[in-house]
Amino acid sequence: MNHRLAFHDVAPHGHRYARASDLGSFEFTYKAEITSIYRLTDAENLYRIRIVNNEDRRHFSFRPGQFVMLELPGVGEAPFSISSSPSNREDIELCIRTVGNLTGVLGHAVRGTRVGIRGPFGTSFPMERMHGGNILLIAGGLGLAPLRAPIAHVQEHRSMFDHVDIIYGSKELSKLLFTFQYEMWKKDDIGLHIVLEKGDPAWSGPVGMITKVLEEIIGFRDVSFIRQTHAIVCGPPVMFKFVCAMLSERGIPMHKMFVSLERRMHCGMGKCCRCNVGSTYTCLKGPVFDYWSVMNLKEAI
Amino acid sequence: MLFRVAEASQLKALFELLAQTNTMLGPVKVADDLGGNPVYSFEEVAEFSRLSLDYTTTRLSAKRFFLPFREDLAVFALQGKDWSKQMDYHMDRPAVLFGLHACDINALNRLDKVLMGSDHPVPYYAAKRKNIFIIGTGCTPRPSCFCRSMGTNTVTHGFDLFVTDIGGGRLFFEIFSSEAYHVIRDLATGEPTPEDHNAYMRVETERNRKITTTVDTTDLTKILDMEFQSPVWKTWGDKCLGCGSCASACPTCYCYGVEETVDPGLREAKKTRTLYSCNIVDFAEVAGGHNFRPERGTRLKYRYYHKHRGFVEAYEESLCVGCGRCGDICLAGITVPEVIASVRGGDPT
Amino acid sequence: MNASKQEQRTYLGIPVPRPKVAFFELSSCEGCQLQIVNNEATLLDFLSLVDVRAFREAMTEKFSDYQIAFIEGSVTRADEIERLRKVREQAAVIVAFGSCACFGGVNQLKNRFSDPAWVKQEVYRGHPVETADTARPIEDFVKVDLKIFGCPVKKEEVEKIVTSLVLGKTVVHPKYPVCLECKANNNLCLFDLGEPCLGPITRGGCNAWCPNNRFGCWGCRGPAVDANVAQLQKIMRQHGFSEETILDRLECFGGFAEQAKELRSKIGGKG
Repeated sequence: MNHRLAFHDVAPHGHRYARASDLGSFEFTYKAEITSIYRLTDAENLYRIRIVNNEDRRHFSFRPGQFVMLELPGVGEAPFSISSSPSNREDIELCIRTVGNLTGVLGHAVRGTRVGIRGPFGTSFPMERMHGGNILLIAGGLGLAPLRAPIAHVQEHRSMFDHVDIIYGSKELSKLLFTFQYEMWKKDDIGLHIVLEKGDPAWSGPVGMITKVLEEIIGFRDVSFIRQTHAIVCGPPVMFKFVCAMLSERGIPMHKMFVSLERRMHCGMGKCCRCNVGSTYTCLKGPVFDYWSVMNLKEAI
Repeated sequence: MLFRVAEASQLKALFELLAQTNTMLGPVKVADDLGGNPVYSFEEVAEFSRLSLDYTTTRLSAKRFFLPFREDLAVFALQGKDWSKQMDYHMDRPAVLFGLHACDINALNRLDKVLMGSDHPVPYYAAKRKNIFIIGTGCTPRPSCFCRSMGTNTVTHGFDLFVTDIGGGRLFFEIFSSEAYHVIRDLATGEPTPEDHNAYMRVETERNRKITTTVDTTDLTKILDMEFQSPVWKTWGDKCLGCGSCASACPTCYCYGVEETVDPGLREAKKTRTLYSCNIVDFAEVAGGHNFRPERGTRLKYRYYHKHRGFVEAYEESLCVGCGRCGDICLAGITVPEVIASVRGGDPT
Repeated sequence: MNASKQEQRTYLGIPVPRPKVAFFELSSCEGCQLQIVNNEATLLDFLSLVDVRAFREAMTEKFSDYQIAFIEGSVTRADEIERLRKVREQAAVIVAFGSCACFGGVNQLKNRFSDPAWVKQEVYRGHPVETADTARPIEDFVKVDLKIFGCPVKKEEVEKIVTSLVLGKTVVHPKYPVCLECKANNNLCLFDLGEPCLGPITRGGCNAWCPNNRFGCWGCRGPAVDANVAQLQKIMRQHGFSEETILDRLECFGGFAEQAKELRSKIGGKG
């Protein structure tokens, strides 16, 4: 006598698009094409990427602050926050600094190279919750990249916000990102305040710490203004630590400040544990956290 | 759950019933260590006689059958600027895992929560989990077992059939799945009597009595939070070899890394998942080289936070099942009971 | 020429160069180079990735227009230093190829002797040879851009590294110790069997080549990153291994030269 056990086939059948609760959602990749590579600085490029299949493209949507896993088969896969407007359903833009393996090879990529996109993953900036008030959009260095999606949201919904200020700190003049957009932002009545760490003969603006400029912008504001204000802060941990501490002192509650944490996700789906802060998955509970949550994460800053 | 009893000889019959057409896996004695103690390992077995069902524990867990150390997530065929992605879940036939202890089945149940939950379930794992028929057996406790403290000395689900030797040449079957019921029908079994129930209780009580090592988990999540800056972490970190053996042996460690490679002919690329360990130096390193946990002590601490705090927060239970393998395999002798006792205020040894 | 331009290989549209490479040997057994030639199944693919300009083990022609130089062996003679400097002038990239080039390898065992004249007399007797008192890794003389560890190097790893180089990928050495791969292979821990093993402190990437065959690790790939060598020494003592046994292991390939030297001075051992 023998007993042959039944085989359970878990491979997805029929479904082109899997929900996050389906087995087929794991390793689901959109095939996308690099349609343009725009050199922003010596170290950063802006890649415009278009999902190849029409139906796939219509299916893909994201919220500002979310990230995708970008894959160049055989080279690697890494997380990048989407740096374009969520309302642009034709292509997405990723601002990528050449620092490692994948980004190094991407630096040599050409138009037409096909990449894989998984996602979008993670939490987003709750833009709707900020409607009707003021926003401080504060970026340090490459932090302007994840800020560009919320900035686009503000531009497209300008009447929903009162005062909007971008405070952007950069090391030096040649490292400024998205310079081609500055005039447009100003035209949309967004205050743009740039501060450089290092002076430059061609620079007449402020030089020094970002907190100094921030102080000038909000120092004279009264309590009712502060109460109506949300802040989005993106940049290196030391920067958002000082900025958030200062904003908190000025009276902005910690749950009204949002930061985006950078960690090295390998999966983006809460499995690999590489992005864990304390024991919180940055890819699931983040990358966007309100500052109260960050203060409660062990080893976040 | 349905219960049945049978004569002891039916265990071999059960094995043979399944072995003719299914891959059989189970505990096997593979060597004697220097002290003359047997060393066990889960291996593929063809003969019932090769199984060591009275084993204490295996050096490494049965995790590798469900979550292989290395697995290709995808293979890419390359053509010009384009590619196509092929996936295989690496499970093409059912298998039987014969003789898994309660702690190890509980470990799989915990892995299920992460790897087969509602958020991006992992098909590579699910394919194996759904196709490995699990026959649990009562264990032989050893000094390093602390499953009672973790509530994992008994198991209520996550297996097909659980067999307990209740003495007097009789076996007690707990039948969980319909498929197991179907298999059992081909054996000579009977309804358990009240005396069988009593015998089962006696055996369990006796087994529990032998599990002597304890870990105090009272308020542990809070204590871990409070002791985040405690100097004990450095003390343990100084002892730690950072070799990752604890994670390799652990039945619930699932952390991994992904690497992509290209064959030297540039025809094909592979995306490979390799189980990793948070104790290894570059676990929390990001592109550009910054390391969020450069010291061994912080890495060891993170492992405890994930298992005994973060997982509890997310799933109301610990990710540690008290099997004691990590402490047994650690050359530096770092054990969970000692680490937790030291965090709670004892002296690290 | 147009013809050669057409042959430009690409990877997903990204141009892939075919660098000119050369293999050289200093004092060594040439076993590392042999690993490359041995690799018949993938040898042709390997040769399509690089343009080999000099390789004594495999070809008679010799050109000196290489960009990448793979150098096997340690430096034990004055003329080797000269050769090395010449290679450095030509090569854009110097690869220390194998443990001898990286750490001095087995050759550096002679460095422990306090009386080199006596050693020469003992070893070479009536056939004196010109050899320095010490065997040195090549980075003691020229800048090394990349190291490939192992005695011998592992051919799969060399192929992976070379593929990464031509694709512009970052060459990342495993930072974890041999233990991780050893456990992945479901091996018995050699400490359980009473065999000394440097697996917990030695850089992985060899797929636990020796422990797979029940030989304890001798540390040929040098230390893993953040290796806790002091702790392993303590553990080895607890397992009853003598100071000499520990020293033998640490000293063998030169990767743990510092710790070996410290231990030797502590136990007062002579060569």
